[in-house]
Amino acid sequence: MNDKDISRIIDAALTNNADFAEVYMEEDSSRSVSLLNGKVIKAGTGISAGIGIRIMSGINSVYVYSNDFDTEELIKMARQASMALSGQNRAEIAALNELCKTSPSVIDIDPASVPKTDTVDLLKKASDLALGYDPLITQVSCGYAASSKTIRVVNSRGINKEETKKRIRLTMEAIATKGNEKQSGRVSPGTLRGYEFVGEYPVMDKMRSCCDTAIRMVNAGYAPSGKMPVVIGNGFGGVIFHEACGHVLEATSVGIGASCFTGKMGQQIASPVVSARDNARIEGEWGSYYTDDEGNESSDLLLIENGILKNYLVDELGSRRMNMPVTGCARREDYCYAPTSRMSNTYIDNGSSTPEEIIAATEEGLYCSQMGGGSVDTATGEFNFAVNEAYMIRNGKIAEPVRGATLIGKGPDVLMNIDMVGNDLKLSAGICGASSGNVPTTVGQPTIRVSSILVGGREEE
Amino acid sequence: MNLDDIKKYTEELIDQSSSRGFEDSAAYCTDNISVSVDILNGEVSSYENSHEYGITFKALKDGQMGTCTTNILNEDTVRYLLDGARENCEVLDDEDPDFIYCDPDNKELFYSQLSGNYGKNTYEKFKDLGLKIEKAILDLDPRVKAVDYLSISAVKSASYMINTKGLSAYTDEDGIAIYAGARAEENGVVKSGGHYWIGLDIDKFDLEDFKSHVYENLITKFGASSVKSGNYNVIFKNEAFVSLFKAFFGNFSSFSIQKGLSLLAGKENTKIASEIFTLKELPMYEKALTKFPFDTEGVLTYDKAIVENGIFKTALYNLKTANKENRKSTGNGFGGGIGLTNAVVTPGDKDLSGLMEDVGDGLLITDVSGLHAGVNPISGDFSLLSEGFVIKAGKRGRPVEQITISGNFYDLLKNITAVGSDVVNVPGSRGEFFCPSITVKDMSIAGEEK
Repeated sequence: MNDKDISRIIDAALTNNADFAEVYMEEDSSRSVSLLNGKVIKAGTGISAGIGIRIMSGINSVYVYSNDFDTEELIKMARQASMALSGQNRAEIAALNELCKTSPSVIDIDPASVPKTDTVDLLKKASDLALGYDPLITQVSCGYAASSKTIRVVNSRGINKEETKKRIRLTMEAIATKGNEKQSGRVSPGTLRGYEFVGEYPVMDKMRSCCDTAIRMVNAGYAPSGKMPVVIGNGFGGVIFHEACGHVLEATSVGIGASCFTGKMGQQIASPVVSARDNARIEGEWGSYYTDDEGNESSDLLLIENGILKNYLVDELGSRRMNMPVTGCARREDYCYAPTSRMSNTYIDNGSSTPEEIIAATEEGLYCSQMGGGSVDTATGEFNFAVNEAYMIRNGKIAEPVRGATLIGKGPDVLMNIDMVGNDLKLSAGICGASSGNVPTTVGQPTIRVSSILVGGREEE
Repeated sequence: MNLDDIKKYTEELIDQSSSRGFEDSAAYCTDNISVSVDILNGEVSSYENSHEYGITFKALKDGQMGTCTTNILNEDTVRYLLDGARENCEVLDDEDPDFIYCDPDNKELFYSQLSGNYGKNTYEKFKDLGLKIEKAILDLDPRVKAVDYLSISAVKSASYMINTKGLSAYTDEDGIAIYAGARAEENGVVKSGGHYWIGLDIDKFDLEDFKSHVYENLITKFGASSVKSGNYNVIFKNEAFVSLFKAFFGNFSSFSIQKGLSLLAGKENTKIASEIFTLKELPMYEKALTKFPFDTEGVLTYDKAIVENGIFKTALYNLKTANKENRKSTGNGFGGGIGLTNAVVTPGDKDLSGLMEDVGDGLLITDVSGLHAGVNPISGDFSLLSEGFVIKAGKRGRPVEQITISGNFYDLLKNITAVGSDVVNVPGSRGEFFCPSITVKDMSIAGEEK
């Protein structure tokens, strides 16, 4: 769409004196394959485009979207939408800045240039390895998805930005069966790098470790229930921080007073050994972006420093509600969603202990080496998440594996109860779902210990 | 662009597909509009309006079904979809063939179920109602501090499918959903809770009824604490039972069973649940807001028992999985996979009070959370953060929080001791789930130390 048409839409959006109007356009293409037991059972290709128009007046907003790019239809839609907002301070439309293009992707080999058959061959080898690994391994699934998305954001303040993100995600899962019991081992790395990532990723070694995890867990007894010290491994273990703390620092909940951390800026909200960041600017990292979905520059944001709350994640609407500057964290799944404050690459920073010291300092407890997903009630801070691979800690040593555990608690309590932080920070790719849809995020942390947390398990009867 | 414009692309795709070497093909298009209004602090905080359409093309080559989708309709669309489907056919090597289908007796399928009320769903109407609901919730009790989330939305959608076998199928529908989530506070303790409503006519919304549910789901939570860990007889309140059941419903899919991902493999016509438990799929159920006379493969649906008096009667099949077992599709081919329409658990005689009287001492579970985290859909194991009430001497007692309820889905089905009469309809991804409260004996609860 040309600049003149975009300006006409923005002008129409301000018909009823709104103070801000924004046009968001995107084009997204994707290619994927899924294998089950070494056979390709699904292969998909798709392309989509769409446009969203947002109008704001104070803390009220209107959002309309369509995949029909007919300018006259869009002008009509924008004008109708503007009638829902009666403002007093119609924005002056600033002259459009020169188009600024960015990309956090680091591409040597464009994934779109690689035939699907190359990826299929690799994943078939990995599947074959797993299927012949051990008689307990009964199911193996693998997947590959590559996408390329270009967004453009133009607003009444003259912002005119374009960003392209090319992504790859691999998934590998082995399922072990013993009688009626099935357990799985799974990895799902994601990156903003090119297809060279697939060549460098140790696919075979990772598949073996998936098999090992599945076999260990299918042979394991149930985890115990009750409150106990819990050591959470690095990497995807950071989902605890993402759920228990990250979401409640988003302006989406803080801005309306619905977060347990509303009004806590500058206060101690975590134990002094905890520092944490939300850094959207790590080149090539799964959750990164340089330009957010409101056209603002992203940031490397210090969230918590030595337990003190330093920053919230603030988008345009949050900025208006909280009277604080935006932090460049507005994200959305696609044009069907208005943007809101979201996380990017969010992690607890390195501490001083080695992982070995943390285990040795724990007389008895649970070691969660692989976490699953989770969720949180932002009003109360209550959260829960699954543990995919866990072991008992006895006399300061990792002991027998246990299965079926979940960790349950309230975010503010758990943050205060982190008493040891390791020095082995690792990031791990995930997908986060919230009001503006599913967005790629990275969670991360070094190995940490929580002095007491409720474990929902099921002791063997 | 409207559905008639989009249809032209589907017709061209079907015309060109045989000359591109496909044995058979199908084109499926959708056209949706929606409107939604969010209310916060006495104002409209957000208003959304949308129009979206798209085409999915599926084509068969050597028994492999390649798929390609787009929502960009221009002179390149047909070529893009044909090329994309062909590339995908070439990498597929599924052992089980796919099918493009048309029932020779039902080539033209047409089912329009528009309520005729969609025109009432205006911005002004939603705004006025939203403000009324917000005020009503805030006035419920001095402890209610805010309605953090209040959304009223309506959708109208139409879909059309044609294939090279001669099928032409059209269906449309509309509906409204209201959801409110509120926050209450007392002595520094914060509680959240809300309610939802789905319907076809905004004028049928009953504010008094809605308000009483919000009160029940929010204010009654104050004073909650944990319980001692141990085994309890538990009543899952209707909505909580549906949440839990849906997390494991994939096990009733023939795809999961055939791929060894469900422990229901080989269990057809055997007892998998208590004899008082019956679950039916009723695609045209008269109480359901949306009805499904045929699936997206063009197969006619029909009423069936999935579990009848505890006996597992049938899994859900589409054309592909049915062929593998040399049987007929059950009309559950939706969206390229297997899906459920309207599910109905046959109710019993007693209301919730009656169920509690029978339990005597136990727990009433009103909510289970973390279903994407705390369940292992394959083994059936679950361990879920839950809340509810103590049941003491057959009556509802104090509220309970910070407990986990754990067990195994297959054991739970067998341990059902009573099915209530208090049916609710919970919206699903397609149809609705009609279910009453259900009593299960001997559930493991983790709370405070023993």
